[in-house]
Amino acid sequence: MLYGLSTLYSVFLWRRGFRRDEWVNYFLLATGVAFHTLSITRRGMTLEVCPINNLYEATTFLLWALGLACLVYSLLPRFKFLAAFTAPVLFTVGVFALMPSLDPPHGAKPEFSGALRSLHAATILQSYGAFGLAAVAAGMFLMQRHDLRFHKLRAMLSLLPSIQRVELITFRLVAAGFLLLTLGLVAGWQLPRPHGRPYFSDAKVVWSALLWLAYLESLVAYRFFGRTGRRFALGIIILFSALLLTFWLTNLVSALHQPGVSGDPASP
Amino acid sequence: MSVVVIGLSHRSAPVALRERFAFASHAIPGALQALRTSGLATEAAILSTCNRVEIYAATPLPPAEAFGEFKKFLVAYHAYGEALGDELYALAEPHSLHHLFKVASGLDSMVLGETEIFGQLKQAYEMASAHQHTGARLNRAFQRAFNVAKHIRTTTNIQRGSVSVMSAAVELAEKIFSSLADHEVLVIGAGETGEKTARALLSRGARGVVVSNRSPERAAALAAALGGRAVPFEHWTEALEQVDIAISSTAADHHLLDRARLEPLMRRRKRRPLLLIDIAVPRDIDPAVGALDNVYLYNVDDLQGIADGYLNLRREEVDRCEKIIAEKVAVLLQQASRFSDTAEPR
Repeated sequence: MLYGLSTLYSVFLWRRGFRRDEWVNYFLLATGVAFHTLSITRRGMTLEVCPINNLYEATTFLLWALGLACLVYSLLPRFKFLAAFTAPVLFTVGVFALMPSLDPPHGAKPEFSGALRSLHAATILQSYGAFGLAAVAAGMFLMQRHDLRFHKLRAMLSLLPSIQRVELITFRLVAAGFLLLTLGLVAGWQLPRPHGRPYFSDAKVVWSALLWLAYLESLVAYRFFGRTGRRFALGIIILFSALLLTFWLTNLVSALHQPGVSGDPASP
Repeated sequence: MSVVVIGLSHRSAPVALRERFAFASHAIPGALQALRTSGLATEAAILSTCNRVEIYAATPLPPAEAFGEFKKFLVAYHAYGEALGDELYALAEPHSLHHLFKVASGLDSMVLGETEIFGQLKQAYEMASAHQHTGARLNRAFQRAFNVAKHIRTTTNIQRGSVSVMSAAVELAEKIFSSLADHEVLVIGAGETGEKTARALLSRGARGVVVSNRSPERAAALAAALGGRAVPFEHWTEALEQVDIAISSTAADHHLLDRARLEPLMRRRKRRPLLLIDIAVPRDIDPAVGALDNVYLYNVDDLQGIADGYLNLRREEVDRCEKIIAEKVAVLLQQASRFSDTAEPR
């Protein structure tokens, strides 16, 4: 509900052209993230394991990482409006995560345990959070760039940061997400698998590897081959949209991530 | 006894008349002394700027009578022999206080919301106070005016944004680049507006200036004045590869920079953004250049559009400011009525 309120307020801020430097949206989102933290903590305490055991939990963990990262980055000068761009993502994906089929009942005991598995799941989902926030910052960059190029007064009146700064933040977020994704994939590699099954035979692993390659290509092309800020930003938004749209599907077809299907332990 | 104001401003009188009634700074203490000696005022302060000449005074006379006497004083002091109509305005409480608060807040200025008047009013008050021509009434009125002006500045958008072409250009640069300290400015043509814009960018931290002009002597002179370097006019496009902001203001009758010329340059610049400010008429830069990625092209009309936009934003704030002022004047008058009318000048 708080994410929904924040989304509504974001629409209001958007229509007002981000003219006033205010904390309302930040506090709405911060309260939402506080409840979100409480919720996943209680679930984790109940299960006695990091609560990333099914699609619902994986999605809410991803959203939590995105919300938390947004709250931290919003503290940078002139970045308070990041919350207005993040809230709609949190709200829409959060509503989708509420579908009952994504949250089947747990067994009497945790379905899996172990520090490495938790590290794998947590870093991967945090990387998605970083990619999500990068996509939000990229959207902010594209809007501000468009307004500046087409001489819209909103570019001047809004209290958004300079486009060069937003571009830099986007790059850093993608780089941070990429490092987390790498760490998560390496941790996943170390996890026990059914005998004889190669790591890259699983659909989710292949999907993650493709994602890793796509983000690597974006970073390298931008950093070393002069890819423009606009193309980089568009690429980051497209990649994250693709991530969101295919995330559930790849989980469903992955034997390693669907314990009911293969009897293997699940992880995102 | 009440606070009154009499004077003329850009709203009521042309500059030819305002300059006739202007007080030189060194003459103000004498004029204030004359006002008090005449018995016309027990406290007085004179504000004399290029846009207004005003006497603020606490007078023992009834306002209607006092206004006539003040007018005579002004006419006699400046030896003005011609007839005066509505050019001179006179206000008694509460309108005088309302006017003072508006002036302090920049609401009565030629450029709505400008802040220079605040400093000028403060100077006028400090001069009167230093020569012991203020007392309880004017002290209270002026101190409150300064507080109200600060309050309005922080709680409304009345002073927000750039309302001149030059400051709009600077603000634009700050919307594109993280910090001007990392960027050099190229000035093409040694015109006055280009020079002023470059100065404004330097004052906001731009790293340096490169000047190019058809006349090498003028380029060298302007570069020296701005603390930059000059490049021959034939080589200014090469300089464009190094700088990130270019201001063009030549008298050329054709485009100096077009898409075909800039495209290879942009490739060599990698993905660095380039802000082009074309303040020349006719324009120096082909508008098609603006379609290139990472190029931000603004001409003089675009900049004027920004300045006008800000001015409109300030106008939208006037009602809010007026409301604040009305409240503060009412509070001040309430407080003043509690004090005795026997306060004497220091």
